[in-house]
Amino acid sequence: MSDLQAAHPEEHSPVPAGEEQETAHTQDEFRQRLLLEQTRDWEINQAVLQPMLRTGAGFWILAGVLAAVVAWGLYAWSYQIRWGFGVAGINRPVYWGIYIATFVFWVGISHAGTMISAVLRVFKADWRRPITRGAEAMTAFALMMAGLYPLIHLGRVWKFYWMIPYPNNRGMWPNFQSPLMWDMVAIFTYLIGSGLYLYLAMIPDMAMARDNTKNWRYQLYRLLALGWRGTEIEWHKLHRALSIFSIVIIPVFLSVHSIVSWDFAVTLQPRWHSTIFAPFFVIGAVYSGLAALATILVLVRWGMRLQGFLREEHFNALGKLVMVAGMAWLYMWFAGLIVEWYGNEPVISEMLHEEISGPLAPLFYLLLFCNLTPIVFLVFKKVRTTPVLLLVFTLMVNLGMYIERVLIIPGNLQRNYLPFNWGTYRPTWVEISVVAMTFAGFALLYLLFSRIFPYVPVWEIKEGRLRYTLRRIGRLLVPTAAEIE
Amino acid sequence: MSDTIVLIGLFHESTQTADAIDQLYQMGIPEEKIVVMTGVPFPEQALGRHKEWIHLPYIVLAGALAGLLFGVFLSVVTPRLYPLTVGGRPVVAGPPAVIIIYVFTMMATIVSTFLGVVWEMGFPSFERKYYHKLTTSGHLSVLLECSPGQESKIIAVIEAHGGHHVHQPERMPI
Repeated sequence: MSDLQAAHPEEHSPVPAGEEQETAHTQDEFRQRLLLEQTRDWEINQAVLQPMLRTGAGFWILAGVLAAVVAWGLYAWSYQIRWGFGVAGINRPVYWGIYIATFVFWVGISHAGTMISAVLRVFKADWRRPITRGAEAMTAFALMMAGLYPLIHLGRVWKFYWMIPYPNNRGMWPNFQSPLMWDMVAIFTYLIGSGLYLYLAMIPDMAMARDNTKNWRYQLYRLLALGWRGTEIEWHKLHRALSIFSIVIIPVFLSVHSIVSWDFAVTLQPRWHSTIFAPFFVIGAVYSGLAALATILVLVRWGMRLQGFLREEHFNALGKLVMVAGMAWLYMWFAGLIVEWYGNEPVISEMLHEEISGPLAPLFYLLLFCNLTPIVFLVFKKVRTTPVLLLVFTLMVNLGMYIERVLIIPGNLQRNYLPFNWGTYRPTWVEISVVAMTFAGFALLYLLFSRIFPYVPVWEIKEGRLRYTLRRIGRLLVPTAAEIE
Repeated sequence: MSDTIVLIGLFHESTQTADAIDQLYQMGIPEEKIVVMTGVPFPEQALGRHKEWIHLPYIVLAGALAGLLFGVFLSVVTPRLYPLTVGGRPVVAGPPAVIIIYVFTMMATIVSTFLGVVWEMGFPSFERKYYHKLTTSGHLSVLLECSPGQESKIIAVIEAHGGHHVHQPERMPI
């Protein structure tokens, strides 16, 4: 033995016999988690395609119930169109009721899709892979629901085209100084962006579905695959386009909710006219969006039996993100509150009094309970990784965030600088039905999407498998990722 | 009668595929006559192939510039054509114009990225093409064009590196 060898004895000491079994177990666990070689590509294809093709009685019952709610909501909307906006509960001074509160809620929900998909793609966070498509679909459908509200709230919906800038004989032009115009173009941009982003990343999976299906599904997937064969240059260009998309869509997602917040903040309404509104809205959107994504993933995992793809580590990571976003929301909320309270402006003091010990108090305390409790419990890994508990706490977050929007919009509008102009607001059956329509519509679209399109991005999962291998460090067996993206 | 034939062979493993492609180059098959199709994106040049130049970033930049100009047109030029005079307020104001210009710039950037990549890939393209459906099931498909005299040697090379299902494919609808 040389001196050098003597100075450096065997670095990898043999594993003691008692640990061999544990090592084998760890190895199996990692291989299962990372979908390493014992799972073949065609098995992954089938694991994703089969749940799409199975539509049992439960699916049709759920789809039927949701469709019935949508139909009822459409009736309520048509009733409003027929009899005028007076059938809604909004009146002076509350001109914006639960329609606008729900609009803000849906725009908020749409934020997590981009957050998960684009941000995590830019940072090459590998755990994103199985959940990106579900998140992107959530963004697109939530925006569709949000986009309905300006139409619903317009009252005379048939006049919508007046907002479109084109030369006309009315001698009128959209007022680009109006926040409502900024809103329209921002949401339209985000809808286009998220729709194209969702579709672009889905093209290789459309080709996979095309190669594995028949009849109408084959025709549909063939059309949507656009002729994809998976050549090297196709992959290269797709990767480049997705990278550009990921970077471009991040400022868009930040700006959309900022612009939505300016609908309120540029007015002189007390408690709205605040510089913190834009970041406060953005962080609230991320909080509710991430929570909604976790809720949906738990339900889809159960409904489509996707336990092999949507695993503990995904819920753990998502739970951590929800918790961090919740803390950031709490910080922003308190930063706004302390300045308002300390300022002691009469009208704002009155509004705070209404929330803390007045008629809005039940909603206010429910908001605090629903938004703060999950932050405390999501600290525990056991809670984050137990789907039922995660479902309960993320549903609480969304209830809390919905109430927050209701308090901010119709809640605040009941009071203003002119006490003779104060009023109250109660939503009518028409408004409640229309709001229920968008919730059911979102669920119905998502349900149909999950049965028509591959819910799990198969090619991204396969790409992830390429990256991983297992490596021993001392007595520890760990997965290591190669830099290939 | 055509002076070239088309062959396709399937592989299970990327290293064997790269080795086979290297040997095909040595046999005089030019790079542009070989197409590799996979169901999963392999890192660039993993299969020993050249890196292809793409124009997408320039298309995106051009789209962004067009969006910016359109935003300026809408928020600065058109209000002067249809002035909305409100007491004490300018017909065109800076901060709202910045928002409109920004949003239209981003919208055009997004749309040009999508249209650019679709155009660069030559999509949509529904005509019959050489393809193998097992590509999306984990196989690496090597498609190549060669002279009829090289056929047997090429089949031998592919099979020597673990290739299988080597045959002259028919164009199929995809």
